[in-house]
Amino acid sequence: MHIPDGILPASVCIAGYAIAVPVTWYSLRQINRLKDPTEELPKASLLTAAFFIASSINIPVPPSSVHLVLNGLLGCVLGYFAFPAILVGLFFQAIMFGHGGLTTLGVDAVMMGIPALVASHIFQFRHVFRQKLGEKLATNVFAFLAGALGLGLAAVIFFFLVITNIPSGFDAQTERAAVYGLSLAHLPLMLIEGTFTLLLVMFLQRVKPELIERRG
Amino acid sequence: MRRTFAIPLALISVVSWQVRAIAHGVGITYQATEAIELQANYDSGEPMAEAQVSVYSPEDPSTPWLTGTADETGRFVFAPDPSIPGTWEVQVRQAGHGEILNIPVGGEAGVLGANAGASEADGESNSQIASGIGDNLSIPQKGLMAVSVIWGFVGTALFFLARKK
Repeated sequence: MHIPDGILPASVCIAGYAIAVPVTWYSLRQINRLKDPTEELPKASLLTAAFFIASSINIPVPPSSVHLVLNGLLGCVLGYFAFPAILVGLFFQAIMFGHGGLTTLGVDAVMMGIPALVASHIFQFRHVFRQKLGEKLATNVFAFLAGALGLGLAAVIFFFLVITNIPSGFDAQTERAAVYGLSLAHLPLMLIEGTFTLLLVMFLQRVKPELIERRG
Repeated sequence: MRRTFAIPLALISVVSWQVRAIAHGVGITYQATEAIELQANYDSGEPMAEAQVSVYSPEDPSTPWLTGTADETGRFVFAPDPSIPGTWEVQVRQAGHGEILNIPVGGEAGVLGANAGASEADGESNSQIASGIGDNLSIPQKGLMAVSVIWGFVGTALFFLARKK
């Protein structure tokens, strides 16, 4: 899912940074508006660690393999903290393991971070459906949807970027076929990440419900 | 014993002579040349089977000098033109994943230059030039790096948790 250096033209990389900077600023401003901005930092820091290591966990989806991203989960549990958390996680992944790259850090942050913020809003929809579905079911359903759609949206952005930026030296047909194959492999990953988010939210509800409820 | 072998051997020599007579004249010569072998793997260790490869010569970095496909094991071999010294650029790409390698050809640091008949140690250093970040790390090194970073995050969490109390 991470786009490495040299895959995208410079203009797209610059556009990535041009979007990532204001979104980071907006997220930090929203965090600063909280009563105590440092209160959620332990949670954000731990989930950044989870995000950092998630990309090393490969899941074989024949014929290829995909790795966990957890951006939907971060959005669901962290809200506006998710974007800076993903940015920091991506930075460490790029420097330490060469997973992604520094020129594409902005693009990767936008690709995974904005869907995380969307997932955060999807999770808030549970309040709207609380009456209809009941408190517990609404939370579970929207936790699953947030986890699955957060990843799904990131995958859609990834495939759009890759397909529209195939350099002339490569056979576009072959590359497109490979991208379609990989996109299909992300459908089961959506289910896995949705389930993972659902399990974490269920666990937090049982152990420490205020971790999810505070931002409600 | 000797006679029993002599008849089949004579037959074989007759058959081979006939084949040579039927064939049209083909002249094939060969010449040993230095080639560059690439091994493209995903960071999971899986080979980039049938990944597309584009080679750019130092003279024209925008038009591919050669395009091809890696084999099932992610291997690709090409022989750069030794008369074009400089940094050759190789792009390997598959489904939005890939890397650009800069391979020096000719000159002192060149793969085909002064070090052409290099020892094994030099060969290793050449292959290191052609690797990306993280490719040269062993699994324990990577594991320790991951643990250190995670401990950094956990430490940050504990720091703010302690301050809250």
